[in-house]
Amino acid sequence: MADTDLASTSAAADQGSGGRRDDQRSPIGAFVHYFGMPIFLALVLLALYLWIQGQDLGVVEERNLRLDRLLAITRAHVELTIYSSVIVLLLAIPLGIIATRPKAKNIAPAIIGLGNAGQAIPSLGLLGLIFYVARTTDLLPSTGAVPAVIALVAYSFLPILRNTMVGLQQVDAFVLEAGRGMGMSNARVLRKLELPLAVPVILAGIRTALVLNVGTATIVFLTGGDGLGRVIFSGFQLQRTTVLVTGSVLVAVLALLIDHIAGVIEDVLTPKGL
Amino acid sequence: MTDTMIELKELTKIYPGTDVPAVESLTMDIPRGEIVVFVGPSGCGKTTSLKMINRIIEPTSGQIILDGEDVTDVDPDLLRRRIGYVIQQIGLFPHIRIGDNVATVPNLLGWDKERTRARVDELLDIVGLDPDIYRERYPKELSGGQRQRIGVARALAADPPVLLMDEPFGAIDPITRTRLQNEFLRLQDELQKTIVFVTHDIDEAIKMGDRIAILEQKSIPAQFATPEEILTAPANEFVEDFVGAGATLKRLKLTRIREIDIVGDCLTGSITEDKTTLRRKLDDSDWTALLLLDEEHRPIRWLRAPDFRQDRPVDQMGLPAVAFVEPNATLSDALEEMLIGSAGVAIVIDSRGKFQGLLDIDTIINSIQLMRDKSAEFYRAEKLIDPAEVAG
Repeated sequence: MADTDLASTSAAADQGSGGRRDDQRSPIGAFVHYFGMPIFLALVLLALYLWIQGQDLGVVEERNLRLDRLLAITRAHVELTIYSSVIVLLLAIPLGIIATRPKAKNIAPAIIGLGNAGQAIPSLGLLGLIFYVARTTDLLPSTGAVPAVIALVAYSFLPILRNTMVGLQQVDAFVLEAGRGMGMSNARVLRKLELPLAVPVILAGIRTALVLNVGTATIVFLTGGDGLGRVIFSGFQLQRTTVLVTGSVLVAVLALLIDHIAGVIEDVLTPKGL
Repeated sequence: MTDTMIELKELTKIYPGTDVPAVESLTMDIPRGEIVVFVGPSGCGKTTSLKMINRIIEPTSGQIILDGEDVTDVDPDLLRRRIGYVIQQIGLFPHIRIGDNVATVPNLLGWDKERTRARVDELLDIVGLDPDIYRERYPKELSGGQRQRIGVARALAADPPVLLMDEPFGAIDPITRTRLQNEFLRLQDELQKTIVFVTHDIDEAIKMGDRIAILEQKSIPAQFATPEEILTAPANEFVEDFVGAGATLKRLKLTRIREIDIVGDCLTGSITEDKTTLRRKLDDSDWTALLLLDEEHRPIRWLRAPDFRQDRPVDQMGLPAVAFVEPNATLSDALEEMLIGSAGVAIVIDSRGKFQGLLDIDTIINSIQLMRDKSAEFYRAEKLIDPAEVAG
């Protein structure tokens, strides 16, 4: 089943950080914090499985709900989410850093404007526009994952950009002054003080972007890409409730799981002492 | 000629978008090994002046000479590694352990691990925090006073000859502040750093400064002199206003007990002597009371004639001796001890508690009188120059 695979990944991530916070949380509290959500999601999937077993499945359902197919589609969905998130990280974090440098005061509004536009335009509309551009020019393929990834990147650009900027701006100015006053260069202040101290806020932005992307990745089937959106849409189109519910529950579980993993990573990467 | 460590020449700062300079043409020689305090009302530009010395704020014009070298245009990062810097907000790096916070400048200078480690431990010791306990802690685990100590240790890490301190004890409760001030003065006795110290508190300036620069708007020095001169001979009305009422009382804080004559030949007796001998001593003298000392020559009790009628051991007769002061204490400390102990005299003892002499309230009053006479002389001199004013 799709769930066991993912659940065990998250369990591994949990163990990596389990010991760190023991001094701050009771053992039971820590267990609930790290394992409560994965256990809950595993139970949801189990319930879904049992429910499907109890249904009278026709040929259409059998074809749509084959385990290997669901696994492949979930995997495609996860990949799409991760690719687009990595690309957006590589774009938005450096731009966020640039936008907060005093020397770049003039281009900061342009960068923020770009991020705002990306998020303000509905992703479905954006996908349509990208599809149109791809069709009329030869710049990019009009089908498959590429148009979707572009739409996802545009959509999740703002949260990461904004959190990078806010994260850097909220760093105590006196900490930076002390660093400068002792002879740290600007680059060193950025590397040793600003970025580590901005990490919690930047990570929160990444978490938001990941969750947004899991949700928005449901629309890639429109350009012929794979993803859980295909299962949901089939359920609608063919009026097969079982298929519809399966797709919907899977995407919800996936979103919650990714949010949980991102939360654990936040815990691990937040510098001690904060 | 005094040995100048920092020379400020015509230092001016005009912030972009303003016409009025924040600091106008500040020229000052800061002597080596002294604490120079910049003090003035808020907005007078004292902090800006301080921050131009390590060029955290770049001067608009003027020159900074550090130990004979013009540093106005050298690489500011390299300059700052030679100057310790302490700010009111401390600015410890919250995500970095205390030991590594202190090691900031040694790390920038590329010291090897052994040397840095040894220096960090030494500094933590100097500021009174056990290295084994505090080295691995994070700043948030420390109290405000401890953090400020770490701030000072961090500034001293690479043993810079010059220290800039911007209201370093400003955000600390009064009791801890006094303690930190005393510790810092003791430290400075050994270190002999050249220190520029900014405060808005004239009392702190008088306590900390070897020299005080009282600054008016635009950082124009109204008077640059020793605390004694500023208290007894304020240069103008601005200084007088700023020093405020109670200049005489403040002056008491500047005079140490060892600088004045104390009564050394008063009547004492030893606990080893018997009651009759002590009684005869008191009767034969002009004194109304006898100070009883223990075997180590430490004062323990005051004995008066009626006390000898009581049938008690000698060390339980009379009243316990109170109001102890050391020769290093100020007249203000002595006065306070007397008031707290409701005693007419303070007992001067050395650091091991041995009796040195007595300081009575008359001596302090005489000392005040002397200051007032000096000050009166000063004003008379002023008036003689302008007879019209005397007539008016």
